[in-house]
Amino acid sequence: MVTELEKVRERFLADIQNSIYGDVMVVGGGISGIQAALDLGTAGFKVFLVEKSPTIGGHMAQLDKTFPTNDCSMCIESPKFNECARHPNIELLTYTEVDGVQGEAGNFTVTLVKKPRYIIEDKCTGCTTCVEYCPVTYPDRFNQEISKNKAVHIFFAQATPLVTYIDESCLYLKEKKCRICSAVCKTGAIDFNQKAQKIDVKVGAIILSPGFKPFDARLRDEFGYGRLENVVTSLDYERLLCATGPYEGEIRRASDREHPHRIAWIQCIGSRQILPGANSYCSAVCCTYTQKQVILTKDHDADAECTIFHNDIRSYGKDFERFYQRTANIPGVRFIRSYASLGKEIAESKNITIRYAAEGGVKEEEFEMVVLSVGLTPPADRNDIAARFGIELNSHGFCKTNPANPMETTRRGVFISGAFQGPVDIPESVATASGASSQCGELLSYRRGKLSRERIYPEERDVSNEEPRVGVYVCHCGANIGRIVDVPSTVEYALSLPNVAHAEESLFICSTEAAQKLSKSIREKGLNRVVVAACTPRTHEPLFRDTLREAGINQYFYDMANIREHCSWVHSKEQEKATEKAKDIIRMSVARACRLEPLLEYDLPVDKAALVVGGGVAGMTCALSIAKQGHPVHLVEKEKELGGMARRIHYTLEGLDVQAYLEDRIRRVYQHPGIRVYTEASIVEVAGFVGNFTTRLKSDRGFSEIKHGAAVLATGAEEYKPSEYLYGQDEKVMTQLELEEKIAKRDKSIAGSRGMVMIQCVGCRQEYRNYCARICCSHAVKNALKLKGINPQIDITILFRDMRMYGLREDYYREAADKDVKFVRFEPEDRPLVEAVVAEGRPVIRITTLDPVLGQRLLLDADHLILSAAVVPSEGIKKIAGLFKTAPGPDGFFQEAHAKLKPVDFGAEGVYLCGTAHYPKHISEAVSQAYGAAGRALTLLSHETVVASGSVCDVDENRCVACGACITVCSYGAIDFAQTPKGRKAAVNAVLCKGDGLCNTVCPTSAISLKHYTDEEIFSQIDAVVPPRHAHAH
Amino acid sequence: MSEVILAFLCNWCSYAGADLAGVSRFQYPPSIRVLRTMCSGRVDPLFIVEGLRSGFDAVFVYGCHIGDCHYLEGNFHTSGRVETVRKLLEFSGIGADRVQLRWVSAAEGQEFARSVSELTEAVHGLGPLDRDRFGLHLSALSQTFESSRLRWLLGMERRLTEIGNVYDEKIDKRKYEEMLGAAAIEEYQKALILESLLQGPQSVREIAAACGLPVYTISQRLADVEKAGKAAFQGFEGNTPKFIRSGA
Repeated sequence: MVTELEKVRERFLADIQNSIYGDVMVVGGGISGIQAALDLGTAGFKVFLVEKSPTIGGHMAQLDKTFPTNDCSMCIESPKFNECARHPNIELLTYTEVDGVQGEAGNFTVTLVKKPRYIIEDKCTGCTTCVEYCPVTYPDRFNQEISKNKAVHIFFAQATPLVTYIDESCLYLKEKKCRICSAVCKTGAIDFNQKAQKIDVKVGAIILSPGFKPFDARLRDEFGYGRLENVVTSLDYERLLCATGPYEGEIRRASDREHPHRIAWIQCIGSRQILPGANSYCSAVCCTYTQKQVILTKDHDADAECTIFHNDIRSYGKDFERFYQRTANIPGVRFIRSYASLGKEIAESKNITIRYAAEGGVKEEEFEMVVLSVGLTPPADRNDIAARFGIELNSHGFCKTNPANPMETTRRGVFISGAFQGPVDIPESVATASGASSQCGELLSYRRGKLSRERIYPEERDVSNEEPRVGVYVCHCGANIGRIVDVPSTVEYALSLPNVAHAEESLFICSTEAAQKLSKSIREKGLNRVVVAACTPRTHEPLFRDTLREAGINQYFYDMANIREHCSWVHSKEQEKATEKAKDIIRMSVARACRLEPLLEYDLPVDKAALVVGGGVAGMTCALSIAKQGHPVHLVEKEKELGGMARRIHYTLEGLDVQAYLEDRIRRVYQHPGIRVYTEASIVEVAGFVGNFTTRLKSDRGFSEIKHGAAVLATGAEEYKPSEYLYGQDEKVMTQLELEEKIAKRDKSIAGSRGMVMIQCVGCRQEYRNYCARICCSHAVKNALKLKGINPQIDITILFRDMRMYGLREDYYREAADKDVKFVRFEPEDRPLVEAVVAEGRPVIRITTLDPVLGQRLLLDADHLILSAAVVPSEGIKKIAGLFKTAPGPDGFFQEAHAKLKPVDFGAEGVYLCGTAHYPKHISEAVSQAYGAAGRALTLLSHETVVASGSVCDVDENRCVACGACITVCSYGAIDFAQTPKGRKAAVNAVLCKGDGLCNTVCPTSAISLKHYTDEEIFSQIDAVVPPRHAHAH
Repeated sequence: MSEVILAFLCNWCSYAGADLAGVSRFQYPPSIRVLRTMCSGRVDPLFIVEGLRSGFDAVFVYGCHIGDCHYLEGNFHTSGRVETVRKLLEFSGIGADRVQLRWVSAAEGQEFARSVSELTEAVHGLGPLDRDRFGLHLSALSQTFESSRLRWLLGMERRLTEIGNVYDEKIDKRKYEEMLGAAAIEEYQKALILESLLQGPQSVREIAAACGLPVYTISQRLADVEKAGKAAFQGFEGNTPKFIRSGA
């Protein structure tokens, strides 16, 4: 007899068997989705990463370089593809779309549709034989349809998964003929019977990272895109620049395939305009990507003449201002501030003329190519996304988010990251990805680790009895290395070196495919040492070490020859010498590789607590997010009260009541049982390392010693105290923050002010403080709008250099102009003059400025002069940075580990950053970063152990004379005397040893040695310079 | 420019600074060959001398700025050690300028490129290192920095000047430096004698000529190495006593 209970049980079991379970689904496999998946997977959640195209990568994969560092985009992104593909907790579902979402936070059922690739993914090896034989060519979407590809092809060279797919242009799919691909495929991977497949996946939370769509330039027909051959969009141009692009990195124009020399960029295509088809907002990235393209164009062709027609130059991000100056200072580059319109196409040459305003009227100039700097728009299927996920959109079609939390949608359990919140650049996309993952963690903390798995590697081959057999792999890095260094000759040279058993070249050695090939060739060729000659070990060494582990040899049998950062990029005009240097670098590396020894790594326990330094909005948000995931948090604030800079801010442009918000945050912090607050605190000492820090501090609680696994530095910034424009001498002159406080206090003189002038860029964008403080333009507009709301009659003039109302903030700029706030530009070499005078019997501030549009001097008498003072690094930042062993950047703000892909990590492991200590930013941006830092900290704190390097010191007891020199110099107390059968000798505690090797240099008998950097290894590298250069000088 | 230079870069600051120079495309002459260590404190004086011996014309050591060392105080030790190498190079006639120490942070890409350009230019002014002329001196320098006495003195700087020995005695920093300088020169002179004796039995006068040192100094140091059992009186050649190497 079957009881009711058993029936329920059976149904339940059947249900479980037929369902696929996970913790989080990330929808969208661009850089933001990738980062979210990696953070969640590493923090112990099972993740499904769903991408509708045949590979992950998104738009970042199409970019040639990224600003402002001009890093090769694919080079920094593709290791992440690799990580995703290898991650035990990430399930990649490409060529898959979401059909619907049922359920609620904690228990969603997502229905996916896996589109037919007509390829059996498990069988396809990515050999591309089918691609060669396929008779159908059609425009290649990855290359912006400038070049052709086949009906069956791999989306791009580093695609992950590296398998082909068959497009709708296939003859068999259209007309049931051909099938050549089936005939040539040796693994039988082609399957024309595939149908779209529905899959239900149960997850607890969802992150939407659908990215953006580039503005369709055809909607602004007057610019001729699609009609005129030599007009391209900026994304087209990005592909033209790229070594993997349609012309292998040569810039050619469509009409005659010639290299254009006179190139024009037109900014704000589809942005900052209220026109049918265009968008009112600013796309936030175009100014700087154009500058990048100009620099790269000049790299390709030093004689190129580049002209940029622009409105405001919005260099509001970290290092953007210097990047702009760098571009503007290149000979042959012109920035022209003017509206530009297309004149005509010249019939014979297919050149294009552009009409623009110049001194003495309208000018018409001829260009060989025109690049349209197109903006970012919401995804094309935004309305479908909104309907399927049950979320709301804002008036621009981006996701509607909580103004105090840009990752929170209108549906609980559904978060967003990246450009779906509005136009943002890569670091913001990455930070919000980590931030969204932290919020998923808050929601699903109870189930962390339940579905996750650990990575398993094959057993290591014992090579101790083998002669060194070195494999050398030289990377072209697209054209980054190959354009300068003669790669084939270095490969040939490597083969001539002793112990080198194998050498080959690779277009991108870091691609998932190349890494797999590398692993295979290690096995097949019986290699026991590997040298990769490519980029810097500081970013890529972990990837290749992992590849060695997969190939079953010890990961320390690896050395990296840096022939990019230290060679091709810095000797770009000396190809022969760079090649010679590359060979030397490889020879040194091979010599070292032969001496390398296998090492074991150590597991160190991770302290579960976090230390957050700084109790402003960023610090509190971060502390709360970490605490909500079950980790104790110590929150340290130097002032008497929490709140930081936000205590002086009363409202935001978007209308957030900052004081109410702040009060709520502070209450939550104090109410949370997991957070311990220290006020009036100063840090005395920081000791330890990732997972095991000990911080001593003095606070209202007296002296405390805190043990913590991670630290987040959110120490904030300060408002610049002006020394110019009569500030401090006349009470009618004040800063924006002071004005805001007066407005909030309903100060009568302010409300009754008859005339007010605001001056922008006070204390920044000049030689001694050469950055843009990012927020001051918005701050001025915010206060101007507030004042107009109180007193519509008030006369406000804003004197500016560029109004940097980036992103959706542009709308408020327009609103202010509509409400008759006057904007007058000034040039930096002709700053406004300010004096206190008496006019019409009352004291006023008289401002004299040159209006460049009218070409006249303006005389403004104002009741109040408001200075938009810069945001400057806080006084204590250097000390804090020093305590945590990090160095501030050139402008005095914290320096993140990588400008693009590690925006909230420090170079030092286990230490993270957020808020204005990183760079000036708005509250919503600080919140994004704060969640981001929490998400990153959780990738560490959620683990029981952290792996410590095997590169530690070891004592040869036969040589040790027990002098104690090593013990004296060790900063970590890792060495002590121990009784051994050979008497009293120094002994190393490997867990405490940090691998600096200082002790090696002081040992009188060379008894102590640092593994992986032994005397022998280093001497071998030095001696590899023999035969001496002078003997074989050419 | 054909001089080739060995550059030691610490992983956390100067290597990162060099990476940044690359990323920012700051150009500099293709003169240096980089050897990465985790900390500039790992750079043994022996490595520097080995660089000069094996074919490089100069050696640059780059580290974090003082106070910024990823390993707290590694670079503090580097600076004292490189100074000693430079002193002996000057003393030997090779010239201190062939070894340079600079601090470059992870954010100073431009500074790295500038510094390499500037130092390379300076080395170019010195010209290629004449290893035929200085072979003996370079070998002697290696031996000097292998000597337990000098290594111990270098390693004990903090113990001697800051912490104090077991009797809580501390030595004044200036006195320590004088002591170190004198010891370095003594060790170097002894090493020179031993190196020159490798050529075969020699008289004091012959040794003095090979080493470029006064006869009186050679007599003193020769007595020292004789006492240590590293050299011995071989016999007379005419009226001239000749010495040879002995022992290990």
